[in-house]
Amino acid sequence: MKDNVLLDIKDVTKSFGKNKVLTGISETVNKGDVIVVIGASGGGKSTFLRSLNCLSKPTSGHVYFEGTDLVTLPDKKLDEVREKMGMVFQSFNLFPNKTVLDNITLAPMKVKGMDQNAANEKAHELLKQVGLDEKADAYPSSLSGGQQQRVAIARALAMEPDVMLFDEPTSALDPEMVGEVLKVMQDLAKSGMTMIVVTHEMGFARKVADQVWFMDGGQIVEKGTPEHIFEHPEQDRTKDFLSKVLEQ
Amino acid sequence: MKKVLHVVLAFLFSLVTVLSLANAHQVNAADDSLQKIKDKGTIVMGTSPDYAPYEFLVNVGGKNRVEGMDVEVAKQIASDLGVKLKIKQMDFDQLLVALETKKVDMVISGMSPTPARAKNVDFSHIYYKGGQDILVNKADAKIYAKGKDALRNKNIGAQTGSLQYELAKKQVPGATVKGLGKVTDLILALKSHKVDAVNVEKPVAEAYASNDKTLTAIDGRYNLGSGETGTAIGFHKGSTTLVNAVNKTLDKIKKQNKTKAYLETAGKYMAGNTQNTTMIHYWKYFALGVGYTLLISAIAVVMGVVIGVILALMRLGKNKVLHGIAVAYIEFIRGTPLMVQVMFVYFGIGVLVQIPALTAGIIAVGINSSAYVAEIIRSGIDSIPVGQTEAARSLGMSKNQAMSNVVLPQAIKNIWPALGNEFISLIKESSIVSIIGVTDLIYQLKVVQTATYRGIAPIAVAMVLYFVMTFTLSRVLGHFEGKMNHEG
Repeated sequence: MKDNVLLDIKDVTKSFGKNKVLTGISETVNKGDVIVVIGASGGGKSTFLRSLNCLSKPTSGHVYFEGTDLVTLPDKKLDEVREKMGMVFQSFNLFPNKTVLDNITLAPMKVKGMDQNAANEKAHELLKQVGLDEKADAYPSSLSGGQQQRVAIARALAMEPDVMLFDEPTSALDPEMVGEVLKVMQDLAKSGMTMIVVTHEMGFARKVADQVWFMDGGQIVEKGTPEHIFEHPEQDRTKDFLSKVLEQ
Repeated sequence: MKKVLHVVLAFLFSLVTVLSLANAHQVNAADDSLQKIKDKGTIVMGTSPDYAPYEFLVNVGGKNRVEGMDVEVAKQIASDLGVKLKIKQMDFDQLLVALETKKVDMVISGMSPTPARAKNVDFSHIYYKGGQDILVNKADAKIYAKGKDALRNKNIGAQTGSLQYELAKKQVPGATVKGLGKVTDLILALKSHKVDAVNVEKPVAEAYASNDKTLTAIDGRYNLGSGETGTAIGFHKGSTTLVNAVNKTLDKIKKQNKTKAYLETAGKYMAGNTQNTTMIHYWKYFALGVGYTLLISAIAVVMGVVIGVILALMRLGKNKVLHGIAVAYIEFIRGTPLMVQVMFVYFGIGVLVQIPALTAGIIAVGINSSAYVAEIIRSGIDSIPVGQTEAARSLGMSKNQAMSNVVLPQAIKNIWPALGNEFISLIKESSIVSIIGVTDLIYQLKVVQTATYRGIAPIAVAMVLYFVMTFTLSRVLGHFEGKMNHEG
């Protein structure tokens, strides 16, 4: 069973100055799991996600990824581990000065030392997967938000990660574009990718998640299957949050 | 805590400045001044060649040369000492600083050995007695016929740091004294009625009056004490053996009444100078000036970029000490005038290491520019959203890879136009190096003013030339900028 654990999170806290954003989180993520993290804004969801790949280093605690503690890892080794942890951001963060294709091939070539042809081939394959191969030579500014986010997913996948972290991937999108991005993510989940998704899309959580974690006040207040969380929540805070969200 | 570090570092910078200047005041205990000159084989004369017939520039075979009575005197001194003569040009008010900091061995520049100056400088015997005149517009000649008494409550122009300036201050009640660095500028002020009269030595006044029909020289009738009636040569304090040797030559000159012949020689050169006063005749001067201005700006901008990049990286980096040094450097350089920096590098640092004026000018302008370039680069990098770095890092790129592959290529688009502007302003600001005698465009402009006795035309030419340089450059830079935007 132990072999199956991908991420082992132990007592992770994070403070910005006097402000405690994460107050002690311990969880495990198994290979192939799709975890959806929900909760109100300011509850520490994004900070939690970013502490997993140490984009923002935890103040204390440990994050074991495939058995290695990232918190105590020297920077150089950390770079190598991050390759295996793809991340998709709320604001896409595509490189605006590079074409779609170059956005995807940059890291495989610079970090993995892949040659141009192999990288291009891989990029085209991924673009087909997200349905955007015809945009390979376009610049990000000419794409819609939904298209940009799909490219960003392809870019992360190009590094062949073992886990994909999604930080509110649809929050910056116009409503009509949310679906196309969620579709790509759903396909990805089906393919067996381990995913941790911070989102406000409850429909996606219900449909795709293996587990839903509800976060509030820097802690994971309640977790369980989508059915458990959405149909039979036990904690008052969870009920309160869901009643507010689902009312709409 | 950070702030304290900055203050401390800025303080250290100033301390270094003060200490190295204080160093300049050390006086040699043993007087080996004469021996030193003989060992060196050259004697360096400092002069401000805007004071015909004492010293002025002539163009012989396309090259600038200082000529005049003082140069003839210096030649005689050099030949009697058995050494070569070298002439360094600078503004009059910089001469004594140059002497103090040993940039020059002697100052011969129509200088009167006043008691105030004698405190810091050893003077030779007086080698020429000229007297003090006032120069006025011919139309006003009658008003000022009585000399200084007619100048009460008027505006008088005089060279900064000169005896004439002191005389106007002390002996003309109610007068406003305006000091300028060069006689050419004073004449211009006179002709445009910014001042009513200009105090100069008699031979100079007469030279101007005979070359410019609109001016008249009048005896100033100042009360002159000892040391105020003639001109002498200044030396570094404590150079007794050298002064004695030079005095022998001066006595000989006086005995043989050679100054008369010197003045005649000077007159001939002056006549040659004023034969053709069209600006096109002096195109070589301007061309040389443009060349130097571009050279100084180009090297300084390269220096500025190299040091600027290092500073920007230091400032952006995590190392607190390097960060503090960079911030202190940038704040200190941006908080002091370029003019002071130019003088400091040439005279101040020059005490420890002898550097030629051109090099000193380039270094000062380059250092000045580096502080501004550092800020341009820093703000260019800061303007790239942090999400770009995060995206790159999340893909496994190291800090350096993210910087060089993602951030810098984008930042350069913001940096480039600002850097172009910096280069353009450098072309303009580098004009300040003329104060230490670097022959840039401003310097050449003054040379042409001196040579032609024309004030405004050379200024107009220089203005047009500066504009042509900056306009061309901004067009070229704009072209590249457009190209870069097109690509991305």
